[in-house]
Amino acid sequence: MSGVNLKKIVKAYGAVQVVHGIDLNVAEKEFVVLVGPSGCGKSTTLRMIAGLEEITGGDLTIHGKRMNRVAPKDRDVAMVFQNYALYPHLNVADNMAFGLRIRKMPKDQIKTTISDVAEVLGLTEYLERRPADLSGGQRQRVAMGRAIVRHPKVFLFDEPLSNLDAKLRTQMRAEIKRLHNRLGVTSVYVTHDQVEAMTLADRIVVMNNGAIEQIGTPMELFNNPANVFVASFLGSPPMNQVKGTLTETGAKIGDIELKLPYPINGNAGRDVVVGIRPEHVTLAEGPQTTAMPISLDLVEPLGSEALLHARFGEATLVFKAETQGDIEHLSGVTQVHVPGDLVKLFDAETGRALQLGA
Amino acid sequence: MMNWNLYSRGDKFFAIVVSILIGMFTVATLYPFIYIAAVSFSSGFAAQAGKVVFMPIDATLEAYGYIITDPQFWLSYRNTFIYTIGGTVMSLVFIIPGAYALSRPQLKGRRYFNLFIAFTMWFNAGLIPFFLNMRDLGLLDSMFGIILGFAVNAFNIILLRNFFEAIPQSFEEAARMDGANDFEVLWKVFMPLSKPAIATITLFCIVSRWNGFFWAMVLLQSEEKIPLQVFLRHTIANLSDNDEFAILQTAAGFSAETVTAAIIVCSIIPVLIVYPFIQKYFEKGILLGGVKE
Amino acid sequence: MREENTTAEADQPLQSEDSRWVRLFDHFKREWQIYAMLLPTLIWFLVFLYKPMYGLQIAFKDYSIFRGVSGSPWIGLEHFQTLFSNDQFLRAIKNTIQISALNLLFGFPAPIILALMFNEVLNATYKRTAQTIVYLPHFISSVIIAGIVITAFSPTAGIINTVLGWFGIDSIYFLTQPEWFRPIFVGTGIWQEAGFGSIVFLAAIAGVNPSLYESAVVDGANRWQMMWKITIPSILPTILIMLIIRIGNIMEVSFELVILLYQPATYETADVVNTWIYRQGLQSGQYDLAAAAGLFNALVAFVLVMTANTLSRRYSRTSLW
Repeated sequence: MSGVNLKKIVKAYGAVQVVHGIDLNVAEKEFVVLVGPSGCGKSTTLRMIAGLEEITGGDLTIHGKRMNRVAPKDRDVAMVFQNYALYPHLNVADNMAFGLRIRKMPKDQIKTTISDVAEVLGLTEYLERRPADLSGGQRQRVAMGRAIVRHPKVFLFDEPLSNLDAKLRTQMRAEIKRLHNRLGVTSVYVTHDQVEAMTLADRIVVMNNGAIEQIGTPMELFNNPANVFVASFLGSPPMNQVKGTLTETGAKIGDIELKLPYPINGNAGRDVVVGIRPEHVTLAEGPQTTAMPISLDLVEPLGSEALLHARFGEATLVFKAETQGDIEHLSGVTQVHVPGDLVKLFDAETGRALQLGA
Repeated sequence: MMNWNLYSRGDKFFAIVVSILIGMFTVATLYPFIYIAAVSFSSGFAAQAGKVVFMPIDATLEAYGYIITDPQFWLSYRNTFIYTIGGTVMSLVFIIPGAYALSRPQLKGRRYFNLFIAFTMWFNAGLIPFFLNMRDLGLLDSMFGIILGFAVNAFNIILLRNFFEAIPQSFEEAARMDGANDFEVLWKVFMPLSKPAIATITLFCIVSRWNGFFWAMVLLQSEEKIPLQVFLRHTIANLSDNDEFAILQTAAGFSAETVTAAIIVCSIIPVLIVYPFIQKYFEKGILLGGVKE
Repeated sequence: MREENTTAEADQPLQSEDSRWVRLFDHFKREWQIYAMLLPTLIWFLVFLYKPMYGLQIAFKDYSIFRGVSGSPWIGLEHFQTLFSNDQFLRAIKNTIQISALNLLFGFPAPIILALMFNEVLNATYKRTAQTIVYLPHFISSVIIAGIVITAFSPTAGIINTVLGWFGIDSIYFLTQPEWFRPIFVGTGIWQEAGFGSIVFLAAIAGVNPSLYESAVVDGANRWQMMWKITIPSILPTILIMLIIRIGNIMEVSFELVILLYQPATYETADVVNTWIYRQGLQSGQYDLAAAAGLFNALVAFVLVMTANTLSRRYSRTSLW
């Protein structure tokens, strides 16, 4: 089996278990993003793959070889660190050559490798500079270059963009994606930023409290979140969640009954959480919509769209609406229309998605 | 905040008074050195009569002439160099790897090892057991004993350990993933990153070795092994009541005072030479040690 | 997904191949190098600092160099009884405490005052130069310091008596007079260490938030008021820590300098515990008695230092090590 395979991987510090036996298969050449709130175990998982943390239990195989007790250097993986970990006393070329020299690669070979990689990353003219003399984006590139020069089987990224400002982050994100398309190396990428996860990943692994909540392609997770956590984690702004109860024909939330276009099949009376994506509601009535009276708190214009912060009973909800160049017409909104076919239902107790409409 | 033009008259007066007081303290600090230098270049007669204040009286190099013709002076000067260089190298050989190991979170029992080291700062056996131990180890009157027996101290190890601990973990991890072992991590990453701390410790070692006196006096018996400080002490203690010397000095233009002063000048000069280099580091260095959040 | 994982796996025993011993073995196999790096230092501490602690048992023995540490017979607390009926030893304790108290009284405030004054000097070059000079004596050996003192205080040749002579005062042989030993010793200590000691306080002053001064300027405070209302309160924790350290080190009079400056005529005020130990043990060969005195000294010092550390931890949330 190729790629990176985690089987029931457990990490414990003394008696405290922080990763609770996770299973994950990363296919060869796949780009997998681990995403979740801080402390969810995503970085620990990545560091176990890297060999920087000892694995308490389970099996880690990389390209078919069990790696649990193999030293990091012998795992044929390379890592890009959050703070880049560029050696301040070495220039760009020497930083990239560091690992090659340790591995006793012949000098001329190091030279050609470095210049090739520098070419790819646009670092050729900076090779003689020290990290302190580089911009944030250039440092980030050097950090990647240091990983690339070794031609590892797997790239590991530990929140590599979180030290960059918003604009650079977007730019470097695209660059990482392009690099991956070009080099096709199996990659595991850790971030807490759901936008990064959505844009970069072939598949996203959503983690929470040391366990995997859901694995899937970005659109799968967006369209069919397995539970309330995933639903609230992906999407910006996140999915609105309103407590309700199923009826024979729909879901009762507050004073209104949301019509659902599929049979409830004896689930009537069940307590649910109704998930409504901010972008799914409309201001105009549609074929399968239910009108929802709201009291508008605040309108935040974003340009082509605006965020409507509104109250519905006890709940605070956020909706997206098109501005059409003007937000005046939005200030008078008193109701929105919720499309029943796009609404998600979750069990109120377990938080897991109910597959009534499927 | 500190802008002369924005100062009130009272503040200006205050600043001037303080500057003058600082100046006086500085002069008071410097004066003994000037005085000693002046004595060393004065004639023995002028020095003995207490005529020297600022400038040499009856300027002469006789005192220097006397000490540079004393082979013991050159021998002890050489010994001091040996103790300083050998001792400093020995110290670094122990301290750097030791501090690195103690700074690694993966070191099992790290807490206890640290305690083991730090305990010696709070409790030591004292002069006598240390001396008897050196004797039992066969290190009395041994140059190697001086070099090895004072190689390590807890303070320097802890100082460097604190510095190593402050280096982001990812530097080590990146190097490890690049295939470096601990020796390579230390040599190629930590040591270059810790130049200021290592320089501080090196300079502390050099200074304490150069100035080392008490144990050299206690442990070394052979004249040919004593360092400059012990030689200086012997000179100060012996010159004045040495008949042979008394006869000698009346004939020549030096006295016990001028010879003592000349040896002091000779042994301070190396300190003055390295001092500018030390100064760059010690201010930060002393703050690195002891007090730790 | 989540439920299956957490409930099913969390409490499952780990695979046997990852048992504790295997992982420990694995750890040493992987990390042996750091243990190898630590080993020489540990051995050094054992041989040079811990073995003498074992040797301390001679404080309770009738030690003879021929029988060695372990061969000498136990005699219980006899040495301690001897010590505490020995006037010279008791005098040494008294002298140690008195000299330390003088050091505390005069030597402790000196670097603080110096640092506060440096903080008021505006001209950077002047300040830098003065600092460079006042730090210097710290790096000079005690032998040289003593040499300078002996020369300067010499009855005929010394500058001090020369200056006294200008005022018609008869020459004083300072270093043979017991009442002069302590002023000279403490003064020398201030001369040598006040400058260097000010570094810690200067660093503390540098750490004071500049906006405090700016708002004081806006409020119309002058420099003198700022020093008392801002600078001193801000560095008070540092002052407190340094004071506690000093108190913890009361038993540590720099005996090297005492040995170099005292003489039998001044033992009365100059002889401290460590110099007494030095004479009894290393000069007269009464190793066991001197070791007992050393043990007593070390224990008192240990208790003081531990108390000091506990106090500083309490007052500043900062431990000293």
